[in-house]
Amino acid sequence: MTATITVRDVGKWFGSVVALSGVSFEIGPGVTALLGPNGAGKSTLFRIMCGLANPSQGAVRILGQDPRANPSLTRHIGIAPQQEALFEWQTALEFVTLAAQLHGVGGPVQAAAAALATVEMDPRDPRPLSTYSKGMRQRVKVAQAIVHNPTVLVLDEPLEGLDPRQRLGAISFFRALGEQGRTVVVSSHVLDEVERFGSRVLVIAQGRLVAEGDFHRIRDLMDDRPRLLRVGTDQPARVAAGLLVSGVVQGARVVRGTVEVETSDAPAFRRAVASVAREAGARLTEVVPLDEDLESVFAYLLRGR
Amino acid sequence: MSALYRTLLRGLATRGRLLALGALAVLAVLLAVLVRVRAGVDRPDAAFSVVDGYGVSVLVPIVSLVFASAALGDAAEDGTLVYLWLRPVARWRLALAAAGAALTISLPLAVLPVVVAAAVAGVGARLVAGALVGALVAAVAYTAVFCGLGLRVRRALAWGLAYLVIWEQAVARVAKGAARVSISVSTRTITARIARHFPLPRNAMSMPVAVFVPCAAALIAVVLTTRSLQRGEVA
Repeated sequence: MTATITVRDVGKWFGSVVALSGVSFEIGPGVTALLGPNGAGKSTLFRIMCGLANPSQGAVRILGQDPRANPSLTRHIGIAPQQEALFEWQTALEFVTLAAQLHGVGGPVQAAAAALATVEMDPRDPRPLSTYSKGMRQRVKVAQAIVHNPTVLVLDEPLEGLDPRQRLGAISFFRALGEQGRTVVVSSHVLDEVERFGSRVLVIAQGRLVAEGDFHRIRDLMDDRPRLLRVGTDQPARVAAGLLVSGVVQGARVVRGTVEVETSDAPAFRRAVASVAREAGARLTEVVPLDEDLESVFAYLLRGR
Repeated sequence: MSALYRTLLRGLATRGRLLALGALAVLAVLLAVLVRVRAGVDRPDAAFSVVDGYGVSVLVPIVSLVFASAALGDAAEDGTLVYLWLRPVARWRLALAAAGAALTISLPLAVLPVVVAAAVAGVGARLVAGALVGALVAAVAYTAVFCGLGLRVRRALAWGLAYLVIWEQAVARVAKGAARVSISVSTRTITARIARHFPLPRNAMSMPVAVFVPCAAALIAVVLTTRSLQRGEVA
């Protein structure tokens, strides 16, 4: 892999608050997803990668150059930041045309109209941006990021606010850009979104890089952790006893008429739970994971570092 | 440059700001009308007081503060600066575009009313010329200084007001050393010398020094704003 983005031992702190600590990785052409919960340091990392902020330690290189030292490098970078504010009085076409003009794109209005059409926005829409919904704003931000055909595209939570159909469209668009040889870095806090990018994944939690690899490796890491599940049944005591005897759970307790179990082998538990219930003469009403939220997943990965 | 300038200018020209500061501008002309129609006052002295005491000393600095501190400050605060900063545009161009946008509003909203007030007072062309040059130089200098202030500090309006009241209106008027680096004292000197109004303001300086101080302040301010854009962080 030829690295277009190199992040070496980057740290960032604000007073005593550490936002990033010792983050190192290399990114090449294709789509790379930066996965992490809110507040993990993804946006800070993006700002440093684009030269918007100085790292407190370490170094970032984009196409071999320091993005802070060389404003002309921004010709090769497109960013869709997370913040929602835009130039509210402008139309979408004016906003994207401004980006094209400042990048020195020939035929800026035509380029802006094409970029807007790419993200399924009407370039002729006369309404000011202040009237736009969150999803529309996201698409306009992406349009201004791609209008100058950058080599490196940094998109901070670009799927937020999009409806399911728009999400699918955006994901295929980002994948197509990656297949064209561009470096596309997309942040997200939603695991399923990242799966659809079909990409390399960097997992960041509490300012540290806690895992990296393809999606399947990350998924395996997450699946291997101990899980807490709730089993709804009309015979909770019998089902709890049966599950303990079967050996697929490490603990089981009856809580308000349901069974809460802890297992380190979720697939084996899923295979066994129905037969255990049948043998106990019980009826199952639900099997619900209690710690599926990403915070607990990231906390587990962080403990494993 | 023109795309940057137009965007920044449009961002500054909000209805609230224009109405509030437009009222201050109208006040300058009304005061001049009052000077003209009122019998029993020393008209040249009263007219100079309107131009110097209100126009050059209050109206121009306040209007410049409001618009210049917002030129980059608003964008830095709401996060839209990224859409101007992350472009292959020299930072000095961004600094100049911001100052130019603020000045474009200050000219009709501060400099023009001071000149009109001088004309309405009807005490001669010299006062009009003094008002024009003094207010213009003050607007340029304050705009450059407050552009940088808006970018560097939060609550730039409050800090700018404190600077105007404490430094320009108090310290520089009593301390001779402070007066030598005061935009207010130098631009009031320019106004008075061109208008040939005596006595000159307290701590007045020679004409070359009076011209040099605000020009140097403007130049240094633009350099510092450019440096802030190069080295500072963008939200």
